[in-house]
Amino acid sequence: MSRHTQVAGLGELVSGVGPDQVLVCYGLGSCIGLALHDPVAQVGVLAHVVLPDSSLGRGGKAPPAKYADIAVPAAVAEAARLGGQPSRLVARMAGGARMFPVAGLNGTLDIGARNIEAVRAALAAAGIRLIAEDTGGSYGRTVQFFIDTGHLVVSTVGRGEHVL
Amino acid sequence: MKRTEAGLQVLRSAMEKGLADSAAALSAMTTGGIQLTDPELRLLPLQKVSEIAGGPACVVVAVYLRIHGDLHGHAMFLFSEESALRVSELLKGDPPGSAAKLDEEGLSALAEAGNICCSACLSALSDQTGLVILPTPPTVVQDMAGAILDPVISHLYMGGDETLVVETRFNHGIPGYFLLLPDQDSMAKLIAVLEALQ
Repeated sequence: MSRHTQVAGLGELVSGVGPDQVLVCYGLGSCIGLALHDPVAQVGVLAHVVLPDSSLGRGGKAPPAKYADIAVPAAVAEAARLGGQPSRLVARMAGGARMFPVAGLNGTLDIGARNIEAVRAALAAAGIRLIAEDTGGSYGRTVQFFIDTGHLVVSTVGRGEHVL
Repeated sequence: MKRTEAGLQVLRSAMEKGLADSAAALSAMTTGGIQLTDPELRLLPLQKVSEIAGGPACVVVAVYLRIHGDLHGHAMFLFSEESALRVSELLKGDPPGSAAKLDEEGLSALAEAGNICCSACLSALSDQTGLVILPTPPTVVQDMAGAILDPVISHLYMGGDETLVVETRFNHGIPGYFLLLPDQDSMAKLIAVLEALQ
């Protein structure tokens, strides 16, 4: 089967319908790749979340998936637009690492842990079940989201690849 | 804030000085003959930074420091996987192409070199502008470029838009990148000083 791939850059949201669709986030560190899947309608949405909360912004125009609190409702709305049913949606996520594991350097930089919590809270608020996650640690991840199976394939540098 | 070619020229000459000082320091600590030339300056939007060395999923070696003082933000020296190998050979005095994989000793040599280059570039910028720039001790990380830059970009997203990227060449061939990622106020301050100096 020939696959059709779309890439979600920082703060972006991509979506697809049908078994040939693959959605990708490259090189996630503290960011989160959040995948919503409706297995019946074969609809998938992948959000590349950068920050936990839209109150951190300086106003102005932000891409739809930049903040966790806005990204989750935006992803649900996108799935619904493509024929997905909110009650059937399941979520998988990967990322939220702490890339510089040195004492004294982090503070404001440990945005990864805050992103994980914010995505979990926003999913709970939207009533969406989180069925698998690979988060935290101090290493990068690339994720590929296959709409046919709903699987999120996580690859790393030197830590192998696994499937959520 | 408006920036002029003359303002950028001040920045360019500071970076040339920083790289020349880096090369002298690296030559002194190794078997010698290390040159850092051909600086190419770019001001890039944050979202584009992870593209500079092959793309966000490409493996890079990055030496990272935070900066305080008159400028707040982050500085980094970054090598692609291939450049990291070649520069580690240069630093260890090994023949080109002899290293197939970056070992602990190579990584530690790169950490030292990256720290020297960052410090020399920041110090030259400080001399040129009169701004106090205080770096923290360095951290070295080997991983995907996008992942390494993520926490820095996330931090700056709360108040910053632009990054200074200086691409240089080790011994006329091997690319390396100095990145200055100040927060928004610091970038405005730096540009104002550069424009006043021209």
